Formats: sequence, C-alpha cells, structure tokens
Amino acid sequence: MENNALKAENITKYFPGVLANDHINFDLYKGEIHTLLGENGAGKTTLINIFDGIYYPDEGNIFIEGRHVNVRSPFDAMKLGIGMIHQHFMLVDILTVLENVILGLQSQGFLVNKAVVARKIKEISEKYNFNISPNSKIWQLTVGEQQRVEIVKMLFRGAKILILDEPTAVLTPQEAEVFFDILKQLKSGGKSIIFISHKLEEVMKISDRITVLRKGKVVGTVDKGNVTQRDLATMMIGREVLFNLGKKPLKMGKEVISIEHLEGYNDRGIKTLQGVEFTVHSGEIFGIAGVVGNGQEELAEIITGLRKASKGKIYVENQEITNSPPYNILKKGVSYIPSDRLKVGLVPNLSSIENSILKCYNEEPISHGPIMNYSGAKAYTGALIEEYNVMVPRINAPVKLLSGGNMQKLLLAREMLEKPILLIAVHPTRGLDIGATEFVREKLLEARDGGAAVLLISEDLDELLMIADRIGIIYEGKIVGIVKPEEVDINEIGLMMGGSHLANSMRH
Amino acid sequence: MLRFEKRENVSLKLKILVPIISVLAGLIIGAIAILFAKINPLIAYKSIIIGAFGSKYTFTETLVFATPLILLSVGLILAFKMNFWNIGAYGQFIIGAIFSSYFALFGPPNLPRFLMLTIMALAGLAGGAIWALIPAVLKAYWAVNEVISTLLLNYVALNILKYFMYGPWRDPIGHGFPLSKTFALNAQLPKIIPNSRTNLGLVFGIIAAFIVLFIIKKTKFGYRISVIGGNPNAARYAGINVARNIIIAMLISGALAGLAGMVQISGVIHLLQIDINPYYGYTAIIVAWLSYLNPVVAIFVSILFGALTAGGFQIQMTMQVPFGIISVIESAILFVLIGSGILMHYRISFVKRRA
Repeated sequence: MENNALKAENITKYFPGVLANDHINFDLYKGEIHTLLGENGAGKTTLINIFDGIYYPDEGNIFIEGRHVNVRSPFDAMKLGIGMIHQHFMLVDILTVLENVILGLQSQGFLVNKAVVARKIKEISEKYNFNISPNSKIWQLTVGEQQRVEIVKMLFRGAKILILDEPTAVLTPQEAEVFFDILKQLKSGGKSIIFISHKLEEVMKISDRITVLRKGKVVGTVDKGNVTQRDLATMMIGREVLFNLGKKPLKMGKEVISIEHLEGYNDRGIKTLQGVEFTVHSGEIFGIAGVVGNGQEELAEIITGLRKASKGKIYVENQEITNSPPYNILKKGVSYIPSDRLKVGLVPNLSSIENSILKCYNEEPISHGPIMNYSGAKAYTGALIEEYNVMVPRINAPVKLLSGGNMQKLLLAREMLEKPILLIAVHPTRGLDIGATEFVREKLLEARDGGAAVLLISEDLDELLMIADRIGIIYEGKIVGIVKPEEVDINEIGLMMGGSHLANSMRH
Repeated sequence: MLRFEKRENVSLKLKILVPIISVLAGLIIGAIAILFAKINPLIAYKSIIIGAFGSKYTFTETLVFATPLILLSVGLILAFKMNFWNIGAYGQFIIGAIFSSYFALFGPPNLPRFLMLTIMALAGLAGGAIWALIPAVLKAYWAVNEVISTLLLNYVALNILKYFMYGPWRDPIGHGFPLSKTFALNAQLPKIIPNSRTNLGLVFGIIAAFIVLFIIKKTKFGYRISVIGGNPNAARYAGINVARNIIIAMLISGALAGLAGMVQISGVIHLLQIDINPYYGYTAIIVAWLSYLNPVVAIFVSILFGALTAGGFQIQMTMQVPFGIISVIESAILFVLIGSGILMHYRISFVKRRA
C-alpha cells in the first residue's frame, strides 16, 4: 500500500449511451512514470479527469498513499497533491510567470508576498533545471518553456503526482528531448507521473510501466522491458497495425500549384508568411513540416482564399488565383481539410446532411432553382456516409455529436468525392485514433494515386515521412529546406524546424 | 453538493419541459409581486384566465394582442436563425407604423379601401425593412455589434415618433394630446370576427408564419441562413455571400416587424400615438425563444402571451393590480428560460459528501 502514490479500484463512469470507464484498476507507484496508452475514445481522458476531480466516478474508489479519498473538484485534487497539466495551457499570456503561479492560488491571503513566491519559483526552477525566470511574460516564452511554467505552477502548489495530457503534441522533437530529461529529473526528485500519449516511440522511451486502455477497459498493465512497440499497438487497437501503408511508386505528373514569394499576415497582424515558394505536382504528396505557428495555417487559408495574401502569386494549373473568392478557387477543383474541423470545415449544430451538401447545395439534384431538395440531399449523404464508413447516430443528428474520427471522415468524404485536382489537408490526423488515422492516410494516398496534387501540412513527422513524397520545412514563414523522406534523417528535419539549419546557413 | 455534467444530447421530453417550467416559474415570481399589492395571486391568476379566455369576446381580445406578437416573433426567428441578435423589432415596428400612417393621414381620402390598405401594408413593410437595414449593413460590412445598434435604434425610432406626435402630425382638434387624427374607414383593416377588434392582421401573421417556415425548411436561402448562423467561416468557404444574406434576412425580419406596426395602427387603434407599442418588440423575443425558433409554434406561444396581456388589462381594471405585473411575469419567464440552458446542456445531480 505504502508504495502506491495513487491507486484506483473499479473506476466506472457512464455517459449517456457510453460506458467511458468500465471497472478500471490502475496504480501508480511512487517515483515512476506510468503511461496511459489508448486510442481516442478509449477512456484515458475520462480517467484522468476523474483523478483531477472534473468528473466523479459512478462506481469505484481512489486511494492516495493508501488513504481512501473523494476528489470532487480540481481544487480537491490539488489539496491531495494531484496536479494536472492540460494539453492546452491554462496560462494568461500577458501576465508574468509569477503572476500566473499566484493566479487561482486559494491559500494566498489578500496581500501576496511576491518576493517569497519569486524565491520559491527560482528554487523549483533550479532544482529541476527549468531555466524559468519568475518575471518573464508568458508570451515571450517558447511553447516548451510555457509547459515548464505549467509544471512549476503545479509543483508550487505542492503536487506530488503530475498528470500530463499528451504533453509532447506541441513540441519539436528536440524540445521533446528536453522535456523527457525534465520528466526524468522530476521522477528522481520523487514525483510520480502519469503520462498520456499515443506516440509509441516516446512511450517506449520514457515509461516505466504502461497501462493500455481500449473501449473503456484495461487491456493490461505491462513493464516496458517486456514489450515491443508492435505489442503495444496490437493491445491498443485489438489487431495488427499496418505500419506500412503500401505506398505505390511515385508517378509525378504536371505541375498543379505553384506559389511564388507569398507573404501574408495572421489575425494579430503579424507577418507570418515571408516569401513562401514551392510547387506541387499531380500524383505527389508534398508535405509541410514545422512547429505549429510558423505560418502553416495561414498558408492553407491564403491558398483557399479564406485569407488575403499581401504579396506574391499563386497559380493553379497556370491560372492565377491569388486572393480570388474562396468559392471560385473551390470550383477550380481545390479541396480543403482545415485543421480545426469545427471552426472552418463543419457547422457543428447542423446535421450530417446539411454538412455534406455544403459545397454542392447550389446544384442539381440537391437543389432546384431556389428550392432545396432535402430528400435528394439525404440520399446523397447516405451514399457518402456508406462509402466512407462514417458512423453517425442518426443521419439527422447534429455533427457535433460525432466522434472526432467520424467528423474527419465526413469532411474527407465531402472534400474528396468530387475528385479534386488539389487537396490541401492541414493536420488531418490530429486527435484521431489509430484506426481513423490509418483511414485518412490511406485516403490521401488514394487521392495521390488517382492523380491529385496533395499538400499535406502536418505536425506529425512520422506521418510526413510515411506518406509524403517531398517535405518542405517551414520556419518563421519561409520554406527553409525541401527534402525527400527516403534521403533524410528525422533529426535533420527537427533541426530545420527549430530554425537552426537556417541559422547555420546564414552564419556560413 | 451539486454536480454538473455535460449532456451529450437533449431529449425531446426536456425540450418540452423546459419552456413549461419557465412559464410556471414566471407565474410564481409574478405571484410574489402580486402579493406585495396585497392581493391573493390565485384570484389574480383566475381573473387573468377569465380575462383572456373567459368569454368569446375576451378570447378575441387575446387574439388582438397575439397578432402583432406573431408577426414580430416570426420575423425575429429568421434573424435569430442566422445568429443575428435583432433586439430592434420595437423600433422597426414604430417606423413601420409611421410609414403606413403617412398614407392613412395624407393619402387621397377617397381611395378604395383595398388599395389604401395595400399601400399602407407595403409602407409598413418598407419602413420596418429600412430600419432593419441600418444595423444589417453595419454588421455585414463593418462587423458592428447588432445587439447594440438595434437596441439604440429603438430609442431613435421612439423619438422620431414623438417628434411627429408632438409636432406636425398632431391632431389640431385633439386637445393637445399627442395623437394623430383618427384614420378614415378606408385606412382601417377589416374585422374578421364581428363585434370584436380581431382583424385581418391575424391572417397576415399566420400566413407570414407559414412562409417563414417554408423559407427555413425548404429554400436555399433558408439553408444559407442556417449555415451562416452555425458557422460563418464554413459559409464563406462554401461561397455563401455572408453580407448579402445577412442583409436580406434582416430586411425580411424588419419588414415583418413594420407590418406588425401597420396592423396595430390600422387594425386596432385607428390612429397614430406615442404608446402604440407596449413592448411587443421585446415580448416577441421571448416568444421566439420559447418556440425554439419554429414560426408555427410561435403562433401558439403568441396566443399564450396575448392571453397574458389581455388578462393583465383585465386585472388592472377590476383588481387595481398594476399592468407592470405582466411585464414582471414575462421577464421572469425569459430569465428562467435563459437560466435553464444549464438544465438543457448539463445533467445536475446531488451528491453527498463522504467523510
């Protein structure tokens, strides 16, 4: 008992229509890194939200250091020494590290002794080599540093158990390395860590033990030493995984899109594209790798006409489309899978039908003159859903009720049905489980083999290396290098993503 | 201790229950207010029901009050579907009334009734549409917040009405009251129930409700509106001209409010005066939401609110309960309705704290 930092017995949690956690047993030893591995919808998030007091289990018990506890709110969790670090940081950009640490601190009186807090932050930072100064403003910090501020916040509040929800999703491979060192130091400092990830490689690198969840149940808890990546993948999805998608040899055709010296601004008025140039040919997948926020999303929006270019030219099949209305570009055969499905791609409150017809509602047989033909639309959607195997509760149900994977399938179906000449996909597998990810990648390859030019913007390097034919690396709004996956080493790409390639070439 | 958990889906049962609870809660809060007037609320409510449904005549009065609510709420529904928060039906109603009064007061006196009424109805539609066009254009091209622009324009509309009523349009033989002269018969909407004030406007309202239902459910325009309301980015991507559709929808919404103004002066009061509009424009917002933005359901909800108004006048006359009580009840209903959004989207359970 004494050896357990946290122990959960028979945790069960129902949501309407779903058994999210089904009698889950989980234990975390003191000073270990224990990974929760599972596809989306396997119940990882529900389980950690129960540990953090966001949800309350319908059945089951939680013990902290052998003592039975009730965690009813994140504040309770904090008092029990449980600190959760969410994937999206809970930090206020314009405040300093110190101010963020104080924020929400309930034990603090009316007056805050900043000097004491600052000293304590420095102590923590030095102990774990965080290299964080209490007076830096959050917006001045890199993503990796912000993540460390989140950890400082939790340690400051006395967390002994840290729960990290997919912490590496936002980091470059190099930043991830630094992050793993920090985890190791936290561990040797006596902290117990629950780590959530679906990247098998890093799970194998960092974990002591791994608990695999599938469909709300524990498949098994294993010691890292006794398993391989392949074993874990099989446990996770219940069957053998295709690590090799059987990519066909490249049959590159004519140039479909060519971009010349493109410049543009983001929503905050910062110039995020500073002269992007590349071309994509029919029959190839051109990948763009980069750390989030280096202009990738703006690039996709400018090509599709949703954002204005301030300079430069875009040609699709030798016709200039720079700053044309989105509809004209779409009618040229350009399809778009945006990074945020619910913000641009889909209308969450409308049904699968209304979402499927978004691009063709204006045409026969979906409409006739000013009148919609909803029975025609329903038939059209039914066929779409069947071909792409989209699971919907009802065809009339709002799409916000679909799982992430099914939303993405619906979007893919809509965008690919009309055989685009250019398909722009931005983070198309972000947040999807292995099954859906595989499906999306297969479909992208299918589009390529069918002769489409595919522009794949992704933060997942493994994905790019697996399916792209060429990879352009974007850093601070410029393509700093174009490489072929079979000729390059992942570390080299990682360095370019972090800007060091550029720095070196400028120095020489 | 209370716990809130997000619901995945909202059941039909809940969708029906929530408005009923809201109305009941509104009545309970109203009862407290009535108690302050030292009157038994049960008796007051009984009088309201009798005042609204007690006889054939009182029921026709209920319909009289329901008529402008139907037209107004149906117009609002179209705007709300688009996520355009039109708070300005009050002002659009007034401008519609002013426009149509112009023809009633200064048009050729011996114009055939049908022609005069047609002109007045068109003028009312145009007046409301013009008043709605201002916030629509501001929103469509400069992203001006429509809640503020429509609300403020209500005051402008009211002051324009006051200008005409204290100034050029005041009836010279009206003993100085801010009223216009009474409309000639050719400018009065015909009654549809004899010996009552229930007029043709009710038919306009019902027709409008079905037209708007058709627009929403069957037309491309209706589809565009729901896409814009649900996600303007997706609408732009699909080539929907967001600005143009905002303007068209608001023109229709305002036009219906303006027509309600025409119906009120031509069908009920038969003259123009300052208080032609006892907050119908705001009550209609409550009606639209209680109806879940369904125009045909709005007909029935309007009748319910018409009953509340008719009954309210009844208790004011017979029991000296101020009419303000009715506003209290209506506001309380909206309040509870908004608050019950939590009920709709979260499951609430009681849990005991274990030691």
